[in-house]
Amino acid sequence: MTSSRTLKLAALGFLLAVIVIVFWQIETDLKEQGIASGGPYDNAASYPYSIAVFVGVLLVLQLVIELLNDKATPQTEAPEAAEDIQPSDIRRAGMMLAIFAVYVMVLTTIGYHLATAPMIYAIMWVCGMRNLLKIAISSVAIATGFAFVFEVFLNVVLPLGIWNIFIPW
Amino acid sequence: MIFEFLSAGLDVFLSPLALGLTFAGIIIGLVVGAMPGLGPLMGIILLLPVAIGLPPVPAMGFLIAIFVGGSCGGSISAILLRIPGTPLAAATLFDGYPMAQKGRASDAIGIAITSSAIGGLIGGVVLVFCAPILASFAANFAPPEYAMLAIMGLFAIAVISGGSIIKGLLAGSFGLLIATVGTDSFSTGLRFTFGSNNLLNGFHIVAVVVGLFAISEMAAQMTKRDLLKTPEVKVARPGLQTIGLTLKHYGNLIRSSAIGTFFGAIPGAGGVISSFTSYAVAKAAAKPGEKYGEGAEGGIVATEAANNATVGGTLVPTLSLGIPGDASSAMLLGALLILGFVPGPAMFENNPDVVGGIFMVYLASNVFLLIAGILLTPVFVYVLRVPKVYLIPSILLLCSIGTFALQASVFDLQVMLVFGLIGILFRAADYPLAPVVIGMILGPILEANFRRSLLISRDGYWIFLDRPVSATLVAVNALLLAAMVYLTIKRMRGSKKSDLAKAMSAEE
Repeated sequence: MTSSRTLKLAALGFLLAVIVIVFWQIETDLKEQGIASGGPYDNAASYPYSIAVFVGVLLVLQLVIELLNDKATPQTEAPEAAEDIQPSDIRRAGMMLAIFAVYVMVLTTIGYHLATAPMIYAIMWVCGMRNLLKIAISSVAIATGFAFVFEVFLNVVLPLGIWNIFIPW
Repeated sequence: MIFEFLSAGLDVFLSPLALGLTFAGIIIGLVVGAMPGLGPLMGIILLLPVAIGLPPVPAMGFLIAIFVGGSCGGSISAILLRIPGTPLAAATLFDGYPMAQKGRASDAIGIAITSSAIGGLIGGVVLVFCAPILASFAANFAPPEYAMLAIMGLFAIAVISGGSIIKGLLAGSFGLLIATVGTDSFSTGLRFTFGSNNLLNGFHIVAVVVGLFAISEMAAQMTKRDLLKTPEVKVARPGLQTIGLTLKHYGNLIRSSAIGTFFGAIPGAGGVISSFTSYAVAKAAAKPGEKYGEGAEGGIVATEAANNATVGGTLVPTLSLGIPGDASSAMLLGALLILGFVPGPAMFENNPDVVGGIFMVYLASNVFLLIAGILLTPVFVYVLRVPKVYLIPSILLLCSIGTFALQASVFDLQVMLVFGLIGILFRAADYPLAPVVIGMILGPILEANFRRSLLISRDGYWIFLDRPVSATLVAVNALLLAAMVYLTIKRMRGSKKSDLAKAMSAEE
């Protein structure tokens, strides 16, 4: 199971990556466009640069605090942070995200009406529901209900997909 | 001046669409507030894509009503389930749940709803009188003052909002950096777009916020093991007599509403601090017979009046200065920006009908809260019985359709998903999410006014000290910075969390 310390370091690593990207873009793309120098009007780099420097200082401070906390409380943190979350619980959340990511990727290709009910079906299955008929009816009802509200009342055109599937309400 | 706003707003407000959406917003707010894990902020985020397709006053009425209803709805599950639907209602369960255990659940819910509505109305009166005055004072503000105000908003949120200050500042700065993506409004150069046309206008705030809050919350809910469980909740029907029960505590009601409004007007303080503070004050001022913590009516009155009065208070700086008090008001500010209005003195000058309309919808939403709360509580109780297995896919679907509907763009959906993953990482590492949103909203205000200040300055950065109001704000920011250093050291030394700190760290 991923420890609380690893997650905290991962968050710091992510923010470090963000400021590295900021500095890299300033040195390359922004300089090429000629907007990384000059006065307040022309210099579009000085503000993100200042924020990135500030984030860098905060990252160092946070890292020091994490290290000091680790030294002060070497083993007492783990039980509270874990909060009884088991690997199977994290797997369930991961599967939900994976299903949702696939849904987002295929939505415009196969369209709302073909993609949505299977997505709901799969998430309900992952949640632990095993009555197949109940899942099927619920997923079709939820998908159609939302489509009705958005298409009829809010005039939203939902993705039709390559087969142009729509419900003529 | 105030009556001009109200009469201009009344014309816009008295339309079937505005009235209907305000009432619908209250019902939705009560439902999302009652459901543990959701709350007013999530309600606003989920329905923001729906609102921005509407005319301005009905749209703001819908969102403000969700804010008002959501701030009260958490009390229903706190009283019936001993689980506060929102951290705002964390203090309500101290007396609400014991009262329900004594067979007075209906009275407890009725008192909570009535106190919320009256507290909200008192906050509304303060909003109507103070916002125009503050806006008229701020009409003399120039870019240096606005730049310093934006910094103050970010600092105040980091100092007051509990948890690690450095993490709050990191999250806020991350929001500032996200806001720089896209076309620079001064030089028209492209920043951090990586050659993608989709990023020319930056990230859509709704896609970012839905991902950060809603997707990460659904992932968090999926880790729980009660997904199929149907909560056992007894139906409670509050009656009109609860209004009388509440009014018996008129002193407590007015005092708690005043505390709530005051804390609401301070950026970062919010409903949790105000409800715990007013509870503590009410407990200290209680009569000998009142046993707080064992089902005292006064405890519910204090917390609920305070947390709904906070909404009115938080709208004062949001509307008159364009500085949001918390994440929910930041979303309301974002909605106004998307609808084409820039909150601040100029909006009071140029769009009195919209300002007046917002005043009217806020006042009306508190009246609707009382009506809907008393009449429809049994319905909200039934909603609490819906298992999460149905709610999670429904909310994910709402997130995806709502985000897609913004610009009919799949790119927005991808942005939502990526920020969902960032939200999960931040939650797991105990980073607050609200400062990211506030940073994203305040970022363009800060940068534009900072650069404008330097453009009009003859002495560079001295312009921030040359002007009296700006210099005062610089001093306040310096004090906040000193407070941050002091609190960081103090929090590092003391590891035990109080009830308030626990509730606040769970606020998102």
